[in-house]
Amino acid sequence: MAYERDHEVVQRLRPEPMTEKEAAAQTVIDDTEFEIFKHKMHMIALEGKETTMKLGASTAMRWGDVAFGIFTAQGDLSICATGIYHHAVLGQLPLKYVVKHWVNEPSVGCRDGDSFFYNDPFYGGVHNADMGLSIPVFHEGQLLCFVGAAVHTGESGGSEPGGTVTAARSKYDEGLLCPPIKIGENYQLKEDLLNMFAAMNRDPRTMILDIKARLAAARIAQRRILEVVEEKGVDFFLGALRRVLTLTGEAAKKKISQLPDGIYRQPRFLDTLGEDNGLVKIDVKVIKKGDRITLDLNNSSPMLVDRPANSYFQGIIGLSMVYLCGWLFHDLPSNNGLLECMDWDFPEDSLVNAKGDVATSIAPLVQVCFTHGMFQCGARMTYSVDPSRSVASWFCGFSIPMFAGINQHGDPVADITPEINATGCGGRYDMDGVNAAGAFFATMADCSDAEATEEDRPVMYTFRNFYNNSYGHGKQRGGAGVGYGISVHDTNQLMLGSHGGGSKFPTTQGLFGGYGLPALFVKMVKKGNYKQLMAESNQNLPHSLDQVYSPDNPEQGEEQYNNISLVVQPAQDGDTLYAYSGGGAGYGDALERDPQSIQRDLEDNLVTHWAAKNIYHLVYDEESLRVDFEATEQARKAVREQRKTSGKTYDEFVGEWEKQHPPEKVLAYYGQYPNPEVSEQQVQPLAVNG
Amino acid sequence: MSRLRITEYLDIDLDNERWCCNRCGQDIYDARDNYKKGCLIAERDMAEVHPPMVDGAAYSFTPDSDYCRLLEFYCPNCGTMLENEYLPPGHPITHEIELDIDALKVKQGQNAEQGA
Repeated sequence: MAYERDHEVVQRLRPEPMTEKEAAAQTVIDDTEFEIFKHKMHMIALEGKETTMKLGASTAMRWGDVAFGIFTAQGDLSICATGIYHHAVLGQLPLKYVVKHWVNEPSVGCRDGDSFFYNDPFYGGVHNADMGLSIPVFHEGQLLCFVGAAVHTGESGGSEPGGTVTAARSKYDEGLLCPPIKIGENYQLKEDLLNMFAAMNRDPRTMILDIKARLAAARIAQRRILEVVEEKGVDFFLGALRRVLTLTGEAAKKKISQLPDGIYRQPRFLDTLGEDNGLVKIDVKVIKKGDRITLDLNNSSPMLVDRPANSYFQGIIGLSMVYLCGWLFHDLPSNNGLLECMDWDFPEDSLVNAKGDVATSIAPLVQVCFTHGMFQCGARMTYSVDPSRSVASWFCGFSIPMFAGINQHGDPVADITPEINATGCGGRYDMDGVNAAGAFFATMADCSDAEATEEDRPVMYTFRNFYNNSYGHGKQRGGAGVGYGISVHDTNQLMLGSHGGGSKFPTTQGLFGGYGLPALFVKMVKKGNYKQLMAESNQNLPHSLDQVYSPDNPEQGEEQYNNISLVVQPAQDGDTLYAYSGGGAGYGDALERDPQSIQRDLEDNLVTHWAAKNIYHLVYDEESLRVDFEATEQARKAVREQRKTSGKTYDEFVGEWEKQHPPEKVLAYYGQYPNPEVSEQQVQPLAVNG
Repeated sequence: MSRLRITEYLDIDLDNERWCCNRCGQDIYDARDNYKKGCLIAERDMAEVHPPMVDGAAYSFTPDSDYCRLLEFYCPNCGTMLENEYLPPGHPITHEIELDIDALKVKQGQNAEQGA
């Protein structure tokens, strides 16, 4: 045992070679029986996902940030029920680690009744708040498969609460980083190990309940699978489980082959290093040739040696599949067979290929920043074949309040609120984005009832509804995100902060002339009069985020306008926080938006009067909302003429444009501007394993 | 081989290997190169598109101009905004679609033969 991270096993993202038994079984599997089997396995996984959600305690687990899978005996993830598609192509790594290191290790082993736990993002790929538990399934002494669940538990014992350490300087600030270990034998969890997890976590009740929820769901799936094996036989089961992976890979390659060959580019810029701002770049290049896609991220910024905005390469691969599963492979099974169509070329020691002891605790922000590039490249790659797949991006950032302390019942609590599961879809050629649809990376997740969150979290919602300045404008506008206010409720022992990016450089831009999102930030009011006004039934308290910024807002106190990435700070009963989850990006030139659609949005308060006049150039009566169509057409014609007057030719424009440069302080972590090329001299990791 | 629609606003004339505006038919640029070289380009005042809505605060709804600027690309004939980009000051304009024109011609030929 080398006692270090295993760099070999994380390279094995694609399916393992077919075993002799699996290959022999292929000749005897009837197509109809296979389809029935596939459906049955998916239903078992879906039941596992639903059971995990119903039994879990953390916000994310209860509201669907769950992946439940059935893995081959070699560890490949064949069947997966999830909307968190990165787990569908990363969930196999911890199991391959178990197979490689523990199955034949005398001091550990792998037997009927065992259970394994893991949360090191080096194997899960994303962040350490994603924790997994899997169990082996044996039949008459033979290991047939594994089943398990990966779920976001909202607290992982880092130096800040809520599973995200904004000010981390190395991985040792991040809390629990557990490679796959055995935590149960003979159908019993080991209480000493649970006790250790509890001791390392601000919210031990949630941590332990979440572990038990995963295990309970896995045991139900184990029973169901063994019923299928009894009916169909071992050979059929092993062969069919493998066939799902094979067919998925073949189908993915066939889909890719239909798209036009070419190179699609989208440089991405992230403004958040951790607790401070700075600009870094992920240079996304998608090379499509034949039936394969290559992700080329060369010329991305160097690894940040003392800030947490880094990602392991496998996390980036996972998030690329979040886009592809949702928008191109939507009718294929979600499993790591999909990776048969993909190659990758990531620069060593870049922020998208982290190594050693660097912090990666805001890796999800780096990853969704990258995914926005996949949305853009994918839209340009698919339009000519199927425009319905060519969508403007969903919100590709985070805006997540994080908290920890003692709740209104006197219990310890540490978690996040769930509005990140209520972002807007991007517009597309034939429709606006859906309002508050979900999260692009968690399409089956939900933002919960406000009352359910208030039940055991020490916050009270002051309002939560669609926000009309949260999305990108366009011919088809982005779906609205959700604006919300929360008030600290019945506790004076709470730390409150926020995780996200996009306060300086918006995370989400538009498509085909549609606009991107405005900047995100978080307003807090401390030592204010909110609760007093509530007690007086003051009717002018804000009922939506636009009213928060109205001069009529009666709330007073110590106002703060903070970066959306905000380290937790003490908060007291009655303090308030206001923010919004982003809406979707706009699609197409706003001057082409149907005037009646704008009129309808005005009626529904889904567009501001400012935008109706200044972005859409709608001419209408503000009181009756009656539209003057002819005057609108004339106004838009005038804008088009003005564009032709003000616009410069390419050479003329670029000559002036490229003389500009961001201030040096903004580029402290960027690398060489504008095209960072990572070299060994630029980055000296604190320590590198392997 | 006629025109092939590539995006909401861009067609390719495969016979002549030219980008064209989908709305007005205007010839834009060489299809083997960046179509933006044939556009009119303007940098917008960010507050005209993303107004701050908060006066004098450290953070508002307007992106920070030290980090982010907004460029718009117009058809030189009809003034339609074909695309826009949010870029740091001075960052090179993106060549976002570089199609393999030869492969595209082969594929279109195959489609025509199959009656697609």
